Amino acid sequence: MRVCLVRDILDKQLLDVTNQNAGKVDGIVLEMRPGEPTRVHCIEVGPITLLRRLNRRLGDWFARVDAHFGEGRGVPIRIPISRVILDSPSLRIDLAVDNLPVMALERWLRQHVVARIPWS
Amino acid sequence: MKRLIGIALGIVTSIGGFLEIGSITTAAQAGADFHYQLIWAVVLGTICIALLIEMSGRFAAVSKHTIADAMRERFGLHFFMVPLVLVFFVSLLVLAAEMGGVAVAIEMVTGVHYPVWALPVGLLAWGLLWYGTFSVIENGVAMLGLITIAFLVAALQLGPDWHALVSGLAPTLPDKQPAHYWFIAVSILGASVSPYLFYFYSSGAIEEKWDATYLGSNRIVAAVGMGFGGFLNIAVLVVAALVLAPRGIHVEKYTQLPLLLSSPWGRLGFALFAAALFITCLGATTEIALALAYQIAQGFGWNWGEDLAPRDDARFSLTYTIILVLATLLVLVGLDPLKLTTLSMALTAASLPVSIVPFLVLMNDRSYLGEHTNGWLGNISILVVSVLASIVALVSIPLEIAGGS
Repeated sequence: MRVCLVRDILDKQLLDVTNQNAGKVDGIVLEMRPGEPTRVHCIEVGPITLLRRLNRRLGDWFARVDAHFGEGRGVPIRIPISRVILDSPSLRIDLAVDNLPVMALERWLRQHVVARIPWS
Repeated sequence: MKRLIGIALGIVTSIGGFLEIGSITTAAQAGADFHYQLIWAVVLGTICIALLIEMSGRFAAVSKHTIADAMRERFGLHFFMVPLVLVFFVSLLVLAAEMGGVAVAIEMVTGVHYPVWALPVGLLAWGLLWYGTFSVIENGVAMLGLITIAFLVAALQLGPDWHALVSGLAPTLPDKQPAHYWFIAVSILGASVSPYLFYFYSSGAIEEKWDATYLGSNRIVAAVGMGFGGFLNIAVLVVAALVLAPRGIHVEKYTQLPLLLSSPWGRLGFALFAAALFITCLGATTEIALALAYQIAQGFGWNWGEDLAPRDDARFSLTYTIILVLATLLVLVGLDPLKLTTLSMALTAASLPVSIVPFLVLMNDRSYLGEHTNGWLGNISILVVSVLASIVALVSIPLEIAGGS
């Protein structure tokens, strides 16, 4: 099956193994090596990649802020292309999104904001 | 049987949810200033929103995508941001107008000036969204909105001149105040054709897990529900023409609005008007706040759903919370609810092509809709109306603000 990266992969909805929304495909990374064929390396998800597409400096600023939030933060979130499965009308990743930094903000808000509102 | 109940419920909620501060105010102004001459604008707006609602329901049922989700996917991030930002700011003004409407309704009953009620109204709307479910909001609030049938009863009781009423169905040029006439005409269009409605409707279809078997009921609900809603809107215009126009009252202050029902029915009418304004504006408030949160959450691929507990879609729930806070602040600073309403309705009309053209492109995409893409008639009529409305709005808004006529 022939797949166009921009038409069929970029900006598509991602679902994880538990059927949770795992964000959109915000970026695609190719691997180009001298003398060897180019191949798709991974997809990128999350606000750093998203903001860099809109404005480089805005994305870089966000990355610097994000880096303060712990180990492994402050860089785009990458998912190997081998983990991405076409599952129309979305794309599925065979990972649990809860273990990925994609949900870091969601988790933080759940624990620190929603949990403090009575009966939530 | 279950499907029949679903259709009936859909029709009832469409009727109960049709009127809100925008459609009441613009129709009242039209009737007060131009008698029946602008009925055509209400009819045109009703036909357009019925077509658009049918389209967004069909899109969701066939493609299993919401409109916002598909816009991001089909047009990419940059193009998605344009309607997102524009619809967000215009709808935020409309939201503030609706919350102002709820606050004004409370002022009518208590006599306490409306900005005082901004915070309680914001909290009430937030509480409904945070602790309620989709069906509580959609069915409960819209069902109570059936109280707006009072306008139809009043119109029939006052006995309109049917001959003059029917002649208002054909668009005619005004013999006075042309700029004001066209400003009200596009405000009426902006009040009925609200882009937030199709984001809301397609999300509702996904929340209720529609599939292609819903296409028939979707068509009936859109046509009958919106059609009857349009009748209520015409009724408001007729009542204004019979009650306000003979006394030379131009709707310039929101305190004049209850006259629509208090003139024929006295204190009971006054109370009915306040109740109708309260419930319909509260319904619209929750719909707009949800619609904007849907649009953002779906555009960025978050978990979303009014039926999920806030802990399961924290970003989505906090997005509508922030939206309600922003709109509450706009009411709190005491922007005049009537001016805010007419201006935000005209701005909605001016921005229509930006939200509707990409929507129409989606509606003609076979990769989403297969054989269920739009027919040419629907495409052309929606396109022409939205472009014309936008041009007229862009010309008449500055004229209206400058006070020219």
